This record gives sequence, structure tokens and C-alpha cells, in this order.
Amino acid sequence: MLNTDMILKTLADMLLPDQININEDELYDAAADRYKKYAKAKKVLDVPSPIAIVYPKNTEQVSKLLMFCNEHGINVIPRGGKTATEGGLENWKENTIVIDALNLNEIIKIDTYNAQATVQAGVALQNLEDELRKVGFTTGHSPQSKPVAKYGGLVSTRSIGQFSTLYGGIEDMVVGLECVFPDGHIARIKNVSRRAGGPDIRHIAIGNEGSLCFITEVTIKIFRYYPENNKFYGYLVKDVDTGIKILREVIVNGFKPSVSRIYSEEDAAQHFYHFYENKCVLVFMAEGPKGIVQATGEAIEEAVAKFGDGVVKQVDGQLIADWFNHLNWSQKDIDDEIEGMIENDSHAGFTTEISADWETIPKIYHNVIERVRNEFSRAHDITMLGGHSSHSYINGTNMYFVYNYDIHCAPEDEMIIYHHPIQKIIVEETLKAGGSMCHHHGIGKYRSEWTLMEHGTAYYMLEKLKQAFDPKGIMNYGTIFPQEEGINKYIK
Amino acid sequence: MKLICVVKFVPDVDNFRYDFENNKLIREDMRLILNPDDACAVAFALKVKEKLAGTVVEVVTMAPKKIVPHMEDLLRLGVDKGVILSDKAFAGSDTYVTSKVLSRYLLGQHYDCIITGTHAVDGDTAHVPAQLGEWLGLNQMSGITKVDMEKFNKAFAYVDVDNDQTSATYEVSLPAVLSLTREIGYKLPYVRKGEINRDVKSSIYILGGEDLGLHEDQTGLKGSLTQVVETYAKQYEKRERTLVKADNDGVETVFHYLHEKGFI
Repeated sequence: MLNTDMILKTLADMLLPDQININEDELYDAAADRYKKYAKAKKVLDVPSPIAIVYPKNTEQVSKLLMFCNEHGINVIPRGGKTATEGGLENWKENTIVIDALNLNEIIKIDTYNAQATVQAGVALQNLEDELRKVGFTTGHSPQSKPVAKYGGLVSTRSIGQFSTLYGGIEDMVVGLECVFPDGHIARIKNVSRRAGGPDIRHIAIGNEGSLCFITEVTIKIFRYYPENNKFYGYLVKDVDTGIKILREVIVNGFKPSVSRIYSEEDAAQHFYHFYENKCVLVFMAEGPKGIVQATGEAIEEAVAKFGDGVVKQVDGQLIADWFNHLNWSQKDIDDEIEGMIENDSHAGFTTEISADWETIPKIYHNVIERVRNEFSRAHDITMLGGHSSHSYINGTNMYFVYNYDIHCAPEDEMIIYHHPIQKIIVEETLKAGGSMCHHHGIGKYRSEWTLMEHGTAYYMLEKLKQAFDPKGIMNYGTIFPQEEGINKYIK
Repeated sequence: MKLICVVKFVPDVDNFRYDFENNKLIREDMRLILNPDDACAVAFALKVKEKLAGTVVEVVTMAPKKIVPHMEDLLRLGVDKGVILSDKAFAGSDTYVTSKVLSRYLLGQHYDCIITGTHAVDGDTAHVPAQLGEWLGLNQMSGITKVDMEKFNKAFAYVDVDNDQTSATYEVSLPAVLSLTREIGYKLPYVRKGEINRDVKSSIYILGGEDLGLHEDQTGLKGSLTQVVETYAKQYEKRERTLVKADNDGVETVFHYLHEKGFI
């Protein structure tokens, strides 16, 4: 096995000096993602820092780097915009190199006629969105991390955006891509509108969380943008169940509002404190061509009327529009959050997002809330527990559990004492009911102990992929695929 | 050395719900937290324990039994004994009765110093520490922003008290009631993972009115000297929100608003 000096010397032979980062502070920052944001801010991370962060300038350099790491058993963490929340970017190995897509930052082509755009992995979503707006198009993808997230990360984590009910998740947008495997092989999946050429191999790369390959380039669908037609709807409703029934009514009747959400009253208090009146808040946004917006709006109003007994009142749509315009967090928000965590023994709450069919989601929601309140040993420290459904599909929806708590333990223990036991309850209740434990944040490292339960007998297929593409196990150790040693050391 | 911290658990005023229709606080799910000044008092006592071998720290509170998990947390941080004075008959007690109940317990105890916070974030009358001093026949000092840790011993404490104009250092004979403010800066230590579930129940004592020799008529609303004539809920106005952009119109709007309110 190569030691640190030998690894750095080889990297220096392969790359220019400005492509290798061994700054101590930045290596510390690269040791963990937002999962341990509080411990990181307090400078008490319990995981090793990587040896270096490298910035390849092209696909060939990515290929050479991966071949080198593969040959010498060096763990590789592929990195994009650094907004991972489940430990996917956390390092559990002493010998680790982070390959960052910083220099893969070219928007290769915007093709409005064929409604697709090709970008390198390090292109920030916001940058592409800004370019598309100039020509009357949009990516249709808008996670809260939009100003900082990058395409490589978005695709490798199966990201979803706030307008997913209309545009879909990232997996619905990717037309083709280029990725590099640990043996250095560069695979290009061509851009076609549809094909029946065997299994859809895009999905080997989409959502692999850096555990199989490094995504270098992506071609995604783009959509015509009609902001002048946007319509917002907001309602106060009596309970989450009513809200879910209304969401279902709209979606199952064949309509696709870009936003369709129901917030529990506790969660609504965080977002809509100025008008929620201790009620749940139901939110819709219709966008697209005028006729579609009008029809969608009418469908929303009909659905609300159908379940009128559970609806308290309609609120001014401008309140919803204003809220949406201030929802995304920028790099400055992230920096301010870190400063706040350093000064105070607290941070903004954590989340766990799951999905299930329409019938099951309310059951999971109520079971989780009851169990957390009654079984969680630190329930007396919880300052907020609630959730919202924010992404709907023809057969079901998601539930985004949100919780805040006062922290009465050492920063390095916080996730294990507070977040993880709550997440465990959520995952248990979800899997028991047949739902998915991870709607859009990925498995990362901190849900890997349940990967087998999530996939059941189909885990066989995942496992074979890992064996085939990463036989030496150098790709993002501990992510998605459970590693007992790491789980015992850092989770249990 | 034995230090007794007298503390109060207060409603978490940062996380409460308000019933706008009936103009009242929603109390069902109201959380209780350790009053911030009192947390400083316990943190100070634990710091003394850390420095002076053999120091024993006891925490006493008058509170509902639901604060047991909070008291357990304090014990896991190094507090040696937790006493909860709890009785349905205590409900509605004013500061006079509260200090009477607390002092009834304290009169039977040995201690070198009683440490409290100065202000409570719920009522903020700051009566109880002074009344404790009266009941117990002890000197009491409020608004303490510094205690000279090096000179702190069984006989004396040297404390700084700030007011609007001046800062004065006092020598206080012990035993006394020292009431700290959060400006003193002591913070409760962290509990580590291995300690968080340690069973400390055997160090918690729950005493009711009968245990303290207090009759029902002497406590609660009946025993209180302060009689409430009327209560009313503060009207929480639903404020209109105006969002402006970072452009000339936005700057103009903000300027006019601040000017109208007299800020500029």
C-alpha cells in the first residue's frame, strides 16, 4: 500500500500543482458533508481527513486518477457541489482522495430545438438555469440547493427539485451521460429521445452516489419557460390527511401542478408563521402554457371544493409566491448557518424523507409522530416535529419529516443521540409499511445499514453491480453498500 | 463544600403556539426548559466542583413531575442530587408561596452557599431569590456578573454586580444566596454518548406539601398573597409582510418605513 507521500508524489506527476489541494482546513472540510455539519463547525469531526482533493480538467484525467486509485486500493470520493446530507461525502478511510468536479465546468451545448442541454459535471445548476432563461427555457430542476448544487452531484444522487410534480426528478430529465469506472473505462450513453436497447443503463450511473463511477458529463432535457402564466394557490386545512387527499385528487385526475405540497401545522409554523393560524397549509403552483395553467387551476379548485369540510380557508396566492421566491439557500446562507452553529449550541433542524403510495403515507406519518413522541429517549428536547409532502406522483407521494431539538450533548455525539434514533423510527415505520426510506437524499452512509431491507431480494442486483464495476471497492467506501466496520465505528 | 442551586423550569418561550381565535396560549404541548440564568448557576456550581475536590452540588426546584428527564440530564452532568418539590396543591403559587415552599425544604438542609439565577424568562419578577434570603435569614445578592473563582471558599465570595452606571465588587459572607445573570458566561458542560442514558433515578427525590409539613391552604392560589384580579392575553397582531427587491424602489420603501417609524 502506498503511503501519503508516495500518493501525493504520484498525483503531482499526473496533475498540475493547482489541481492538488492539501490545505489542512479544506481537507478537514472535505472529511464530512452536511450530515455532520454541527460537529464540523465545532471542529470535532471524528472521521479522517482525505489525503488530497484533486481537480481534474477533463475526462481523461478522471480516468487516469481512477486507474491509479484502483491499482493501489485508494478510496475515492467523487464530489460536486458539496450539498450531500446523508454522509455520502463523508470519509471513512485513511487513504482517500476526493475527486472534485470544480474544473469540469463547461456548458457544452444548449440546444433549444431539440430541447436538451449538455454540461460537464461541475456546472452549477444555477449557472445553466441563468443561461437557459436568456433563451426562454428552464431546467425545470429546482432543489433548495440550486445556487450551489452541481450537475455531477445532482445526477449521482438522484436529486429532485421543488417543481418535480410537473418536470419530474433528475432521473426523468437525463437524456444521456458520460461516466468513468474505476478501471478507467469511459462510458458514453448517447442522447436519444427513447430506445428499447436492453435495460436502461443510464440508471447504473444515476443515483450511484459515487459508489460505482464518476459522472463527467450530462445531457438533460430543457423546458420552455412561462413565468408570466404562473399561478399560486394556498389553503389552510384541518389536518395532513385532508391535504393528502386533495393532492391525490388533483394528481390522479391527470393534472400536474409544478408544486403540490401539504405542511403539517408544526412545519407550517416554520414557513408560514405570518398566516398559518395553527393550521396545516396546502400549497399549489401551476405553470406552463396558459391553457394548461388554467385547466390545472380549475382542477385544484375542484379538488379543494370536494374536500371542503376539511378546508378552513383560502389564503392570498401572493403569500405563496413570495414564500417560494425566498426558499432557496445560497452559499451565503450556508456560511451564515456555520457561523451560527459555532456561536450557539444549536442548528436548524434535520430531515428524513420517505415515500409510499397514497394510502400508506398518512399511516406512516401518524405512526412516526406517535413513536417519536413516545419512544424517543430525548423527546423532551424536541422543539418541533412535523412534516410535509412535497413531491407527488400518480401512485403516491413523499413525506418529509422535519424535526428540531435542543442539543444537550457533545457536538460529536449529536447525530447518534438525536438524529439517528429519530431517523431509525422513520425508516422502520416506512419499510414496515412497504414504502421507501429515501425519497431524494440518497442512502449515503447513514442509511446504509438499511440498504438490504430497502431493496430486499433485489439487493442481489445492486450487489452484482458493485462487484462488476468496482471489484476492489475503491468507490466511496461505506456509501449505499453497507460496510460493517464503518457502521460499527461511526454509527453504533 | 456543599452548594445548592435553586432553579426554575420555564416555558420555552421561543417555541410556543398561540390560539388566535380564542386569544390564549396553547399550553398542552408547551415544553419546559431550564431558565437560562439558572443554567448559568448550575454551570458555575459544577465548575466549583471541578476545582474544589469534595464539593457536592444539589439542585432544587419547585416544578411539575414532567421535568424529571431534565433533572436527570443535570445529574448526568455531575450534579449529585436533584430535589423536585412537586404537588398539585402548589399550582398557582405566587413568588411568596414559591419561596416559602423552597425555604421550607432548605431550612432542613446543610449548605455553604445557595446559587440561583437572577431573572426568569417567563415572569421576570426576580422576587424569589430575595425572598429566599428573607425566609432563610441569609444575605442575598442579585445581578452577579462575576464570581472570583480563586477566592471562592466556605467563608466568603467576591462577586461583581453591574448596574446601568457602575460595576461594583462585593465581599459576601457565606452562607448566602448568590443570584447570577447569564452574562457571567458559565455554560453547562456536554453529556457524552456513554453517559446520556445513565440511570440516575436513585439520586432524584420528589417531595410534596405533606413531606414539607405544608397544608393545602398554605400553598397554591389559596396561600398566595398576590391575588389575580384579571388576566388577559396579549394581542398578537398578525403583521402584514412586505417584500422588496434590492433595487431603487426597494431602498425607497425601506427608507420611508424607517423614517415613518422614527428610526432615521
